Amino acid sequence: MQENKRGGIKRRDFLKIIGVVGTTAAVTGGCSSEPVEQIIPYVIPPEDIVPGIPKWYASTCLECPAGCGIVVKNREGRAIKIEGNPKNPVNSGSLCARGQAALQGLYNPDRIRSPLVKDSSGRFKPLDWGSAEKTLLEKIQSLKEQGRGDRIVFMSGNISGSLERLIKDWLGAIGGGKHLVYETFAYEPLKQGNKIAFGMDKIPTYHVEKTRFVLSFGADFLETWLSPVEYAKKFGLMHSYKEKSMGKFVQIEPRLSLTGANADEWIAIKPGTEAFLALGIAHVIATEGWHSSGISKEEVDMLVALLGRFSPDRVSSITDVPSSTIRRLAEEFVRLRPSIAIGVGAANTSTSATQTVVAINILNYIAGNTREIVNFGESLTISKASSFKDIASLVDSMSKGEVELLFVHNTNPVFTLPDALGFKEALKNVPFVVSFSTFMDETTELASLVLPDCTTLEKWGDYVPREGVYGLVQPAMEPVPLFNTKPIGDVILSLSKQLSGLEELFPQQSFFEYLRDSWRAIHSEVAPNKDFETFWSESLQDGGVFREVASPEVRLSRDILGVDFSEPSFNGEGSLYLMVYPSSRYYDGRGANKPWLQELPDPITTGVWDSWIELHPDTAKKLGVKEGDFLLVESAYGKIEVQAFLYKGIRPDTVAIPIGLGHESYGRYAEKIGVNPIKILPLAYDALSGGLAWLSTRVKISKTGRWARFVKTQQTTSQAGRGIAQAVGLEEIRRGLVKREEHHEPDMYKPHDHKHRWGMSIDLSKCIGCGACVTACYAENNVAFVGKEQVARGRHMSWIRIERFFEEESGFEARFIPMLCQHCDNAPCEPVCPVYATYHNYEGLNVMVYNRCVGTRYCSNNCTYKVRRFNWFTYKWPEPLNWQLNPDVTVRTKGVMEKCTFCSQRIIYAKDRAKDEGRFPRDGEITPACAQTCPTKAIVFGDLKDPESEVSRLSKDERGYHVLEEINTKPSITYLKKVKWDRV
Amino acid sequence: MSQETTITYSKVNEDIIKMLDKPTVKWWALFVFDLIVLGIGLLCFLYQVYTGLGVAGYSHPVFWAVYITNFVFWVGIAHSGTLISAILFLFRARFRMSIYRIAEAMTVFAVLTAGLFPIIHLGRPWNFYWLIPYPNQRELWVNFRSPLIWDVFAVSTYLTISSVFFFVGMIPDIAAIRDRVKEVPRKIIYTILSLGWKGSNWEWMHYTRAYLYLAAFATPLVISVHSVVSWDFAMANTPGWHTTIFAPYFVAGAIFSGLAMVITLVVPIRRIFHLEKYITISNFEAMAKMIILTSLIVSYAYGVEFFMAWYSGNPYEWEQFKYRATGDYAFFYWLMVFCNSLVPVLLWFKKIRTNIKALFIISLFINIGMWFERFNIIVISLSHEFMPSTWNLYKVSLVELGITAGSFAWFFMFFLLFIKTLPAVSIAELKEILPAPVKEAKTK
Repeated sequence: MQENKRGGIKRRDFLKIIGVVGTTAAVTGGCSSEPVEQIIPYVIPPEDIVPGIPKWYASTCLECPAGCGIVVKNREGRAIKIEGNPKNPVNSGSLCARGQAALQGLYNPDRIRSPLVKDSSGRFKPLDWGSAEKTLLEKIQSLKEQGRGDRIVFMSGNISGSLERLIKDWLGAIGGGKHLVYETFAYEPLKQGNKIAFGMDKIPTYHVEKTRFVLSFGADFLETWLSPVEYAKKFGLMHSYKEKSMGKFVQIEPRLSLTGANADEWIAIKPGTEAFLALGIAHVIATEGWHSSGISKEEVDMLVALLGRFSPDRVSSITDVPSSTIRRLAEEFVRLRPSIAIGVGAANTSTSATQTVVAINILNYIAGNTREIVNFGESLTISKASSFKDIASLVDSMSKGEVELLFVHNTNPVFTLPDALGFKEALKNVPFVVSFSTFMDETTELASLVLPDCTTLEKWGDYVPREGVYGLVQPAMEPVPLFNTKPIGDVILSLSKQLSGLEELFPQQSFFEYLRDSWRAIHSEVAPNKDFETFWSESLQDGGVFREVASPEVRLSRDILGVDFSEPSFNGEGSLYLMVYPSSRYYDGRGANKPWLQELPDPITTGVWDSWIELHPDTAKKLGVKEGDFLLVESAYGKIEVQAFLYKGIRPDTVAIPIGLGHESYGRYAEKIGVNPIKILPLAYDALSGGLAWLSTRVKISKTGRWARFVKTQQTTSQAGRGIAQAVGLEEIRRGLVKREEHHEPDMYKPHDHKHRWGMSIDLSKCIGCGACVTACYAENNVAFVGKEQVARGRHMSWIRIERFFEEESGFEARFIPMLCQHCDNAPCEPVCPVYATYHNYEGLNVMVYNRCVGTRYCSNNCTYKVRRFNWFTYKWPEPLNWQLNPDVTVRTKGVMEKCTFCSQRIIYAKDRAKDEGRFPRDGEITPACAQTCPTKAIVFGDLKDPESEVSRLSKDERGYHVLEEINTKPSITYLKKVKWDRV
Repeated sequence: MSQETTITYSKVNEDIIKMLDKPTVKWWALFVFDLIVLGIGLLCFLYQVYTGLGVAGYSHPVFWAVYITNFVFWVGIAHSGTLISAILFLFRARFRMSIYRIAEAMTVFAVLTAGLFPIIHLGRPWNFYWLIPYPNQRELWVNFRSPLIWDVFAVSTYLTISSVFFFVGMIPDIAAIRDRVKEVPRKIIYTILSLGWKGSNWEWMHYTRAYLYLAAFATPLVISVHSVVSWDFAMANTPGWHTTIFAPYFVAGAIFSGLAMVITLVVPIRRIFHLEKYITISNFEAMAKMIILTSLIVSYAYGVEFFMAWYSGNPYEWEQFKYRATGDYAFFYWLMVFCNSLVPVLLWFKKIRTNIKALFIISLFINIGMWFERFNIIVISLSHEFMPSTWNLYKVSLVELGITAGSFAWFFMFFLLFIKTLPAVSIAELKEILPAPVKEAKTK
C-alpha cells in the first residue's frame, strides 16, 4: 500500500487519536456543569477510625436536669445518634425525644460561630479567643484590684459536679462573687414541703415501680417532672399488665396532661386546691382507722386532730371533687398498698403549692408509703438550685447597679422569667454581661461579651443528677469545626492562668485534667481498692459511677401543724384560670431550636411548629370560638395572641398554654414561632417556699377575628368505631374472658417462604404516647423535617407516628397507638407498584427500593395504614445539620416513596456480625431505633419464625390483635390491647 | 330535506375543502392564545419537575388528584370517537357520517393528552420508561400485576389503533384534496399521505373491507380500555374504589362524556364553516338520545354504588359514601349529580334536544360533571380511608390548574391544526348518503 508515502497519518492512527482525545474530553469535560470533585483517601488513616464501624461513647445528657446516661454513636468522626445508656440507673437505656434531639443542638446551623463582643453601636462583632479573653480579663482584673470582686455574679443552669466546684472556687478566688443556679422548674415547693413534713430539704426519688397505686397531684412525670424517662420506665413497670394484675394510676389536675392521659382516672380538680383533696383523703384514712401500723399513737392523734377539719364534704365543696370519690380514693389508696401520692408539677404550682406537698406527705405517711417508696437518700441535685427568692433579689441588686459583672451560662432568664420580675430591664443596669451560651438566645442578645461554649457532646464534664449517680460527660466527637467554641471549663482555667495569684490555685492545663483530679475524690470514696487509671477508664466506658443509696427513715415533723392550709390566690380580673405548662418537647424553651422537636406532634393536640391555647368546648361555645381562631389572652401583666384548640380534657373554667415557644431570638427554627405565656404571668410566689407560682392568674379571653387552620398532624379525635387502638377491661381479662381472635381468609397464593420473619409487638398498656420513638426514628433514618406549611398539608415525613384518640363514650379517655409500616405478609402496596420498587423479601420485610421508585404513589393509595411518605421535594439539612445523617441510610431525593424499614440497616449489621461469629442473630440482638429508645419498652422486635423469641411469645398473647385485621393484610406487628381499670 | 337538492358531489368537495383555505385572523388569534396557554402549562410542568411534585396540591393521604382526574377524563373523552366511528359504522348508523371524522380526531388528540398525565403525575417523570417492559441492561422488569402496567398497554394500544383507523378513514379524502390543491409543498404532502389513492373500484373494494376489519378491531377497545382504566381504582382496596361495577360504570361514563365533548366541538365548527347542510339537526338529536341513555346508566351507577356500600355492610364503604354525599366535598358530589343526572333530563324534551344552543350548553354541563365525577372518585375516596387518624383534605394548587389548562390547550392545538389541514368532515362518506339523482359531477 501507499499510505506511508503520502505522509500524514494512517487511518488506524487517526481512529486511535480520535478515540483517546474524545474519551479524554468526555471524562474531563463531561456533560455536567458541576465542577469536578476529587475525593482523596486518608494518606495516613487515623488508627481508631475504621470506616463503617461505629464507635460508641458513653456520656450524660444535659438537655434537662434529669441527667440521663447516654451513649453516642460516632461514625467516621461524627456523632450521628444518641441512645440511652443501659448501665445508667436513671434511664436504663431509654431516652426521650429531647435527648434524641440533642444532636440538632450540636449541629444547629445557628450556633454562635465565634466569640462576640458588642461594639458601641450595640452590634455584635466577632473576635478571636485571645482578645475575647483579654477583654474579660481586663474587666475582672479591674474589679479584683478595686476589691469589688464580690460584685460578680455567676448565673447558671443546673450544673453539678466538677464544673460547679470550679466556678465556686474561681469566684472565690477572684473576689467572692455569688454563684446562682437558676432552673426554670426548680420544684421549690417539693423541697419546702419535704422540709416541713419530714425535715428533709430535698427532692427524693420516688420508687413508683414498687407501688400498686399512684395518686398524682398534677405531677407530669411522663413529660418533664423531675426525671421523665426514669419515671416513665417506672410507671411502665407499675402500670403494665402482667400476671393478671396491674397498678392503678389516678391523676388529679385541672387540665389533662399527657401524663394524665395515661391515667386510669382523671379528677378535674379546681385549680390549686389539691392540698384539700389530699387532706380529705387522709381524713378518711385516719377516721376509718386505715392508717399504717408503722406510725405511732402520738402521730395518729396529731393527724386526727389536724385532719378533723377536712371532712370529705367540706373538701368536696372546695375542690369540686364529689365526696364519694374522695372516700373511694382513700379506700383504694389503702387497699392497693404500697401506694404513693406525688406532686406537685410545675403547671399546678399555685400560691399554695407547698401546702399541697405537705398534704401529700401527710397522705403518704398515714398510709405508710414512705421509706420503701420515697427515697430521700437518692435526692436530686436540683434540690440545690437557688431559690426563686435569690433570683428575685439578684434582679433587685442588678437594678440597683450592685452587680458589675454577670456571667450567664446554660440558662436563658430573659425568656423564662416573667416580664413582671423585670430581669430584662435590670440587666441593662449591669455594666458587663458575659454569656457562655452556645446559641444566640434572648439573654445572650443582651450580653456585652459572648464566649460560646461547646455543646455537651463536644466537651468533658460530669453531672450528678442525684446522689449515687455520678455521670461522666465525654466528648463524642471533636468540636464541630464550623464553630469556634471553647468549653467553659477551659475558658475559666485559661483566664486563671492570666490572672495574678490564681495560677497556683488552678494549675490544671485543661478542664479535662481538672475533671480527672476532682474524680480522684470520687475514686477514693467509691472504689479505693482500684488504681485510679482503671477506675477512670472503667467509669468512662460505663458513662459514670452508679451506686445505690439507702433510704433514710423519716418521721413526720410537728411543723405540719404550723401550716395554714388555704386556698390559693389568683391574680387578675378574668374568669378563666390560666395554666401554663412545661412542654414535653421544648421543656422550658431550650428545645425550641431543634426542628425534630418542632416537628414532633404534641401528644395531645398533635400540633406542630406553633403554640395554642387549650379551652373546653363549652367555654369555646360560650365565647363563640372555634378551633383555629386567634384569641387575645389578657392578664394584668400583658397580653398574647394565640390560636385556639378545643379540648375536652380541661375544666371549663381553665385554659392552658404550653411553655417553650415564642422566642424572639434563638435561631431560625425557634424565632417568631408561637407565644411565650410566661410573659404575661404575674409575679406570684408560692407562699411557703417562695418559688414562682406558675398557676396564679386569671385571664380574659376575646376573639381577634382572625382565623387560620390550626396546623396539626391528626385532624380527627375519634376512631370511628374501627378498633384501631383497642382496650379490654381488667376484670374481663383477669377472668380469662379475653380470647385471641385469629382472622383467617382463604388465600389465592402460596404462603411466603421466609428465612426470618421480622416482626414486632407493641404493648398498648405500656405505650404512653411520649413520641420518643418518633424522634429516634428521625435521627436513625435520615427522615427529613419539612416545616409548618408542609405539615399543614400532611407532608411530614415521620415513618412512625403516635395516633391519639379520645374515647368519649364513658367519660373521657385518651388512647395512644404507635403506627408504622406493618410489614404485611399480604401487603396491598406490593402488587400495585408497576416497577417492583416495593416488594416482599425473604425475611418478611416489605422492602422499599428508592432507586427503583418512579413515584406513582399507588402504593400509598393502597396502603391500609397510610404509613408511606412521599418526598414532595428534595429536603435540605442546612449545613451542618447534614453532618448528623446516618451513613448507613440512603438520603432520599424528590419523587420517591419512603417508609419504615424496621431499621433494616440494623438488621444487616447484626446479621453480618453474627455471620462473622459463625452464629445466627440472637433474640434481642436487633433493636430498631424506636424500640431502643422507648422509655417503657412497649415495643419488642424479633424473629417471628423463631418460636422461642420474645416477639413470638407476645404475638400469641391473649391481648394480641392486628389493626384492621379484616382487611387481611396479615401484618407483622401485633398490638397488645390496652388494659383498663373498670370504671367505677 | 330541501337543501339536499342543491348539493352535488362537487359541491361537497368544494365545501369541505374550503375549510382548509388560508387561516383567518381569528384562527390565528385563537391559535396564538392556545399556544400561550400551552406554554404556561409547559412552564408549570417544568417548574414541577425542577422543584418537586410538592408544588401540586397533594396532601397526605390524597396522593392522586387532579392529574389522574385529567387522565381519566381525557381517556373517557377519547371513547366516543371510536364509538361513533367504529361501533356505529358496524351498526350502519347513518347519522355518524357527518360527525365521525371530528369524533375520531378528538379521540386521537384526547388519547395524546391523556397519555401525558400518567407521566406528569410521576414523582420522577424522567424515569417514566421504566414502566415499559423491554429487555434492558438494568435487568429489571415490570410488575404485570400492577394495573398501572395494564394502563400502559391499554393506552398505547388505543393510541395505535385509533390513529391507524383515523388515518385509513381519511385516505380517499386526502386524495380528493391532493387533486384540488396547487401549491407545491401542500401538494407533495397530500400526495404522500394519500398513498397513491386513485379511487378505482379495485381500491374501493379492498379499502372498504380493510375499514370494516379495522372497525371490528377497534370496537372491543371501546370497552376494554376504559375498563382497564377503571381497574386502576377497582383493583385497589381503597373504600370507594374497590367495587365490581367500575368497568361498565366507567365505560358508560366515558361514552357519555365523549358524546358531550363531540357536541361541544361540532357545534362551533358547524357554525363557523357553515356546515349546517351536512351536519343536520337530526344528527345532533341522535347523539342527544345516546346521551340520555348513557346518563341513565351513569346515574344508575351512582345509585348502585350507594346501595352496595350500604347493603354489603362494609363499614368503611358505607362511611365513605356517607362522606361523599355529606362530607367536606359534598358540593362537588352534588355538582356531579346535578350535571350528569339532572341536566340531561332536559334532553327528554324534543324541543330542547333539537335546539343547538341548548344542546351546546348541556354538553358543557356534562363535561364539567364528568370531570368532577372522576375528581370525586379519586379525591374523596383517598381523603377518607381506613385510618381515621389520617383523614385529610386536598386543595388544588395553581401549578395543577396551569397544567390542566395546558392540557386543554394541547388538545385544542391539535384540533385547530386538524381543521385547517385535514378534512374535518368525511367527503367520501357524505357522498354515500346523498340521494341518487344528484350523483352528477358536473354542475358548472
